Amino acid sequence: MRQSQSAVLERGVDLEKVHETEPFETAWAGEARWYVQFLRPAPGSQVEFRVQISPDGLNWIDHESIAPLASEAVGLLSIPVVNFGHWLRLRSEQKSGDEAPMLRIYLELKE
Amino acid sequence: MTSPDVASTAAGLRDAIRSSDLRLSKFNPLARILTFDDFNHGAHGWVELGGNYNGRGDLDSMDEHFRDFRPPQLSNQNFFDVGTHGGMTGTYSLKLATRKAAGHTATAIRRLTMSGRGLLQIEAYLAWKVEANLTGGDEVNSYGDISWDANSHPTEAQFGAFTVATDLDHDGIRYHNVMRFQNADEDGKIIQKWMYPTVAEPTPHERFEGKHDYGRYTDFTAPNPDDWRYLNDERQEACYNEVPTKVNWHYLRFLIDTTTRSNVELQFNNDVYDLRDVPVPPYAEKYESLESLLNFYFSVRTLGPYRNFLFLDSVVISADW
Repeated sequence: MRQSQSAVLERGVDLEKVHETEPFETAWAGEARWYVQFLRPAPGSQVEFRVQISPDGLNWIDHESIAPLASEAVGLLSIPVVNFGHWLRLRSEQKSGDEAPMLRIYLELKE
Repeated sequence: MTSPDVASTAAGLRDAIRSSDLRLSKFNPLARILTFDDFNHGAHGWVELGGNYNGRGDLDSMDEHFRDFRPPQLSNQNFFDVGTHGGMTGTYSLKLATRKAAGHTATAIRRLTMSGRGLLQIEAYLAWKVEANLTGGDEVNSYGDISWDANSHPTEAQFGAFTVATDLDHDGIRYHNVMRFQNADEDGKIIQKWMYPTVAEPTPHERFEGKHDYGRYTDFTAPNPDDWRYLNDERQEACYNEVPTKVNWHYLRFLIDTTTRSNVELQFNNDVYDLRDVPVPPYAEKYESLESLLNFYFSVRTLGPYRNFLFLDSVVISADW
């Protein structure tokens, strides 16, 4: 049976322009999936998500195989990730709109 | 054989078998091992301590200082300078990590119930670290009591505290056994002493009744610093080991007695402390739906804008019932 873990990295964070999740160690996992839920949507806004990776949990770059996901700041979104190495984080950026949405962010990991 | 002889022989056999077990020989458990976790096969039920929420799961219904105890991570201890450090037992350990925010606490809890009364013990091999820093000028070579001298490292003064504690309830009486290693204060002054609270932890039910409403970075175990006492005046020396990316594992053993709802003993490496005079304040109020509650938690608390980490290589919970 494969090991797995779901981590709720944000339980209800106000997106103030840019937000980066806390560094999370993922060396043991072979696949991952982000879920982002707009607990307080901001219709009419554009929010972009980037999956980022790191060799040390200190220095971060965008994952080379995952295009930024643009959203309308409503509903529930998901981003699958493979080949991510030992660290993962999600960068959220509000590109347009005046009202800040509130996010719940899950990271699901599996061997 | 008489009964004492049988018991003695059984204990001797148990010790012999345990000492030949590569995984258990570094522990000194009571007769019945309830849990054994080495974190090479998952988090084994150690989970973020969560707050209590209403029927709709509203975030606002949770105590603010209970909303963000952070999910524990399975860590291979991957560092910028040496790559993968690994654990004491295998590659992985359980990592509790705070945010970079003064007062923030990360907490992992393991939830059981009691099938008896008597001695109860938690043992762990653990290490504490501060996140490495790769930026800044000369000013980052000093923090609080420590200036970098190629022996001591300023990050050691940036580690606040770690805590081992219970949440127990039987016969309608709920209580916590709590011991904390206070490493430094909010100014980076080195303390390195054991502490305990003289009050019970504020509960969500008490907030529901309007008795308190603490902020996000409150010390949830006992919010008022005046409610903490040092176990003694001795400095608990330890092996932080010079930089934030060298990890040496320390042995911790915390023994309590659920029959008397009391503390018994704390062992940290080769130092053993008698805790029988350390109070365990019970709640005056009876709590429902918690009969035979047996929880242990570990927490780590930062007092500055530095991520503090508590690594657990392995943990054993045992009892004499």
